[in-house]
Amino acid sequence: MRLLKLLVPVFLSIILIVFDTRFSYLDNFKKFTLTLLSPIYVIVDLPSQVIGWVNDKGADNDKLISENDYLQGQLIELKVRLQTYNNLALENQKISKLLDSSYEIPNHDAKLAHVKSISQSRLSKKIIIGKGSNDGAALSQLIVGSDGAVGQITQVTPMYSTVRLLTDPTQHMPVKNSRNGIRGITKGVASNANGMIIEFVPLDSDVKVGDIFLTSGIGNLYPSGYLVGRVTSINDTIDASFLSISLQPTQNMNKLELVLIVKEKND
Amino acid sequence: MTNTTHLFLLIKISIIAFIIGAISLPSFLELISPFWLLSFFIYWLIYSNGKSVFTSAFILGILLDVLQGGILGQNALALVLSSAFILNVKKSFFVSNITTQQVYIFISTLIYLITFLLIHSLVNGLNIKWLILLSPFTSALLWPLIRLLLAKLKQ
Repeated sequence: MRLLKLLVPVFLSIILIVFDTRFSYLDNFKKFTLTLLSPIYVIVDLPSQVIGWVNDKGADNDKLISENDYLQGQLIELKVRLQTYNNLALENQKISKLLDSSYEIPNHDAKLAHVKSISQSRLSKKIIIGKGSNDGAALSQLIVGSDGAVGQITQVTPMYSTVRLLTDPTQHMPVKNSRNGIRGITKGVASNANGMIIEFVPLDSDVKVGDIFLTSGIGNLYPSGYLVGRVTSINDTIDASFLSISLQPTQNMNKLELVLIVKEKND
Repeated sequence: MTNTTHLFLLIKISIIAFIIGAISLPSFLELISPFWLLSFFIYWLIYSNGKSVFTSAFILGILLDVLQGGILGQNALALVLSSAFILNVKKSFFVSNITTQQVYIFISTLIYLITFLLIHSLVNGLNIKWLILLSPFTSALLWPLIRLLLAKLKQ
């Protein structure tokens, strides 16, 4: 009888594992259960919220003024840069028209989100952000930091979203070389906390150490043009069919505080 | 203790285990940290005469899988198998000294870890960080502390 009591949950677990990895029937159940469990995230996040609130309230006036000055300076600098960018965009549109090209400069919406100090499974590289379905976050959206792409939303609850980092071994992202448009797919490396590799780049491709790879937007799943990483080494083993390219993410994944949720603008 | 009390204790310690497990730690500490839910569940299993051990283990494992965004059934299977081992040695565990208890905790965490890694490797390939292999040691080392804290909670 005890054996039967043991075997039933064992078989049920195995069935769940198979169903979860092969099909998506259980996604709604997972989403519903995670929404029920999300108060746990609220409790875990509470101390950092309190510390943040105390810091905000107790912030020195002079410090705030100097920080404000600095940020205004940064804003002006960015506005000036944006003017150059706008000119380039107009120029690009004109050339596109002349060449009768169907290419359009992507127009993206971005939403700011705080990275929460909540941990998930120890074998995956994930972060939790404080924006959920109530704020318009949705599955598969691209997350970017100030220096480049961070990852992709894999779970959403009304208040929080889980982001799988680009450096996770199960995360793949279509990319292209900014220098010559050569395409590949990135994948994280388990043994290296901040390492990625690019797969499926043919042996004779023109890729050099230092090249920058960007999101390619292939498959229309991710917006294109965001920095992903810089090539650190290339291994062209003769017996392999593809180049083995190591990539260092442009965004430091260990120092994330604020990120942007990026999605295509629906005009 | 009535059945309701056992259930209430299980709910209480499970919530605490979920909360501790979700606290963000440096990656090194996160890898070697004990499987909190397992350690807490073992305490409940030993010091409370709760019924439906495997069903409870299965449900809690599923909840942990959802919370961690992992493969559904991975923690459930690991927790059920580890509980089966502890249930087998329950009488001996109860009367043993702390060192012997730590050995039992080490073995049950090892069963948990092997099951966990086996499923992970079958689904995602052998992409693991080897530091995780230290978690049975930390689980065993921290057992006296966990036992003490949960005993206070039980009172």
